Amino acid sequence: MRRVVVTGLGAVTPHGIGVKAYWSGLASGACAIRPLSVIETDGFRCRIGGEVPEMVGGSTRRTRADRFALAAAEEALSDAGLGAGERDEAALVVGAVGGGMLEAEEWYWAASRGGDARLVPAVRSVLPCAHADTLAGRLRVRGPRHTVVTACSSGAVAVAEAATLIAEGVVDVAVAGGVDSITRICFMGFNALKLLDLAPCRPFDRDRRGMSIGEGAGFLVLEEAAAARARGARVYAELAGHGMTTDAYHITAPEPEGDGMVRAIRAALRAARVSPTAVTYVNAHGTGTPQNDRVEARALERVFGEGALLVSSTKSMIGHTMAAAGSLEAIATVLALGHGVVPPTANLETPDPDVHFDCVPRTPRDATLDCAISNSFGFGGQNVTLLFRRR
Amino acid sequence: MRTSMRVAITGVGVVNAGIVGDSAALAAFLAAPRPAPGVGAGGVARVPSSALAGAIDVAEARRLSRVCQLSIAAAKLAVAESGVDAARGLGLVVGTEFGDLASTHVFADGFLERGPSGLSPLLFPNTVMNTMAATTAIAVGARELALTLNAPTVAGELAVARAAAAIASGQAPAVLAGGVDEIDPVVERALPALGFAADRLGEGAAFLMLEAYEIAQARGATILGQVAAAAWRSLPARPWGVGRRRRSRAIHTVLERAGIDAAHLGAVYSSASGDRRRDAWEAAVLAAALGPEAPPAATLARLLGRHAGLGVLRVAAAAWTARSGLLPAATEPSTVMTRVWPRPGLVHGLGRGGAHVALVVAGA
Repeated sequence: MRRVVVTGLGAVTPHGIGVKAYWSGLASGACAIRPLSVIETDGFRCRIGGEVPEMVGGSTRRTRADRFALAAAEEALSDAGLGAGERDEAALVVGAVGGGMLEAEEWYWAASRGGDARLVPAVRSVLPCAHADTLAGRLRVRGPRHTVVTACSSGAVAVAEAATLIAEGVVDVAVAGGVDSITRICFMGFNALKLLDLAPCRPFDRDRRGMSIGEGAGFLVLEEAAAARARGARVYAELAGHGMTTDAYHITAPEPEGDGMVRAIRAALRAARVSPTAVTYVNAHGTGTPQNDRVEARALERVFGEGALLVSSTKSMIGHTMAAAGSLEAIATVLALGHGVVPPTANLETPDPDVHFDCVPRTPRDATLDCAISNSFGFGGQNVTLLFRRR
Repeated sequence: MRTSMRVAITGVGVVNAGIVGDSAALAAFLAAPRPAPGVGAGGVARVPSSALAGAIDVAEARRLSRVCQLSIAAAKLAVAESGVDAARGLGLVVGTEFGDLASTHVFADGFLERGPSGLSPLLFPNTVMNTMAATTAIAVGARELALTLNAPTVAGELAVARAAAAIASGQAPAVLAGGVDEIDPVVERALPALGFAADRLGEGAAFLMLEAYEIAQARGATILGQVAAAAWRSLPARPWGVGRRRRSRAIHTVLERAGIDAAHLGAVYSSASGDRRRDAWEAAVLAAALGPEAPPAATLARLLGRHAGLGVLRVAAAAWTARSGLLPAATEPSTVMTRVWPRPGLVHGLGRGGAHVALVVAGA
């Protein structure tokens, strides 16, 4: 089996533009969830989220999400030092949900109120696959290309898909990640479901009240290990295994015993040939909703037992960045392995007594980590676990 | 991903403007093809309500959007024909171009008409494009990987290629591969403005049950065809644009993997649909890859209208052609049949933006 390593990282997050700003925020436990300004929030109970604080460069004719994706993917490619020849053969896998919905909403809102609105640009950009087409053209990445939509786990699925393309020998290099901008549809939907906390989310807290939405993009360059070594690439970590399963249970609620999550985690352990005891850190899906955190903790306990496992939630600092969440959390996991620092769960004041793990409240933790997993779960019971090993 | 392991097609389910049923219904249609009502330049071949109502349980339909109903109805037909027991491990790959935009509009309209109180929490999950895969996974008990792939034009072919790769690499013993689309009125209004005035559009769903050949054979399943090789690549083009490059790595790869040269293909099913610039680009790519000995080509878009389900249906049709030696002709009048060698055929898709898929499909 060909081994897959991570050689490039790129991020646009509520902590700022670039991986450096992202890690600086995570490693200090800073919460970037603030009042939203990119959309109107009048009349809604929850009015906060993790918003990218400065606009990235590039043509203003591109959608906000496309600009996030371009900035993050360009950073990852540049970080990996990939030349034109390698880009020409590289696979591109993008996890997406909202596409250019933010701009399409502006058209639809204006059109519904009888205003002047240009239909074509809105429709051109609205589909999730628009990001991949934009990235492929702009970055000259011309290998196999596909866009996956698995709701909130889309970014992690994109990384898993790219790893499979490399492991199966289709390509030696792949660029993979997820992207989403805040949209009205998403904001209104989670408000309607009453899944949003009025304060910044508090995953694994006894008093947690729900999630906070967010936005951003996270991209990774993955390479076949020998090919990366041959070109002298810097290796961050090995993506040693992954697991993907489906609950087939409910359109929004997770299966109460966490069966699908357990199967995904175990599949990742099996693929990586790693025993549960070798995993010392879990970057949790950790949304902060009562239901998700309870079921995820139950699933972790079924696989790992109660014990010394460190568990933390990136979403406590940047919000739930939707399709970007899985890939941004993969980056957080890779950086945690490399730095020997576990980012904390911000806003965690009173640990939930039903969660039998150290959820690293508020303050980062130094730790020697060899193997870590990143969990991502989506509406429709779409479960993904990525397992990274330190190099 | 490799498809070195043989991948069998053991079930077909189709719900569109011209066909409702399993492989027998598809074979009956292909043997005596006629354009579905509504198909034609600028029109949409829509699935009649009566046809959909007959294909899905009434109680089940009440909780589902129309595009999810299309997906579940076709998926269940494929599962039933295959006889696969989902409890033994079933994956799902769904291709779609437009997802459930109709529900998205209704959800947004609720807010625009009545403010926050007009928002339906029940509709919100439908605004995410994986809603068809999620509801279909629940309906058929698919608990392994469940992917939704979004691409212009070639989402169906891509879903079959990805599902075949999942079988070949052992990710699941059986995978249901499908495509589904409905044409929302807003999309219908927009497409001419995007340059698709001549496109023949349709809607509906088609699913195939794919299994490892040896597993299907061992359980005594009827094998309707084989995916001998599948690959997806991309050609340079602007988003929604057509490109100039003709050299196809996808076709080269599948012919090599299937161990067949272009001269020995029985037929080609292409994704041509009346979009003149894209059709011309695809024809040039096929001509460059297959040379002067290219076999006869067909596209079913003139009969049923382009939608993600049609890409999946073309794979089942290519298996039928490889068995029967019959091919619905590509040119008008579209009901003429051509006799071809009963050999493996090429299914090819090239979308605006450059998404590019090729499959070699053999008979049983």
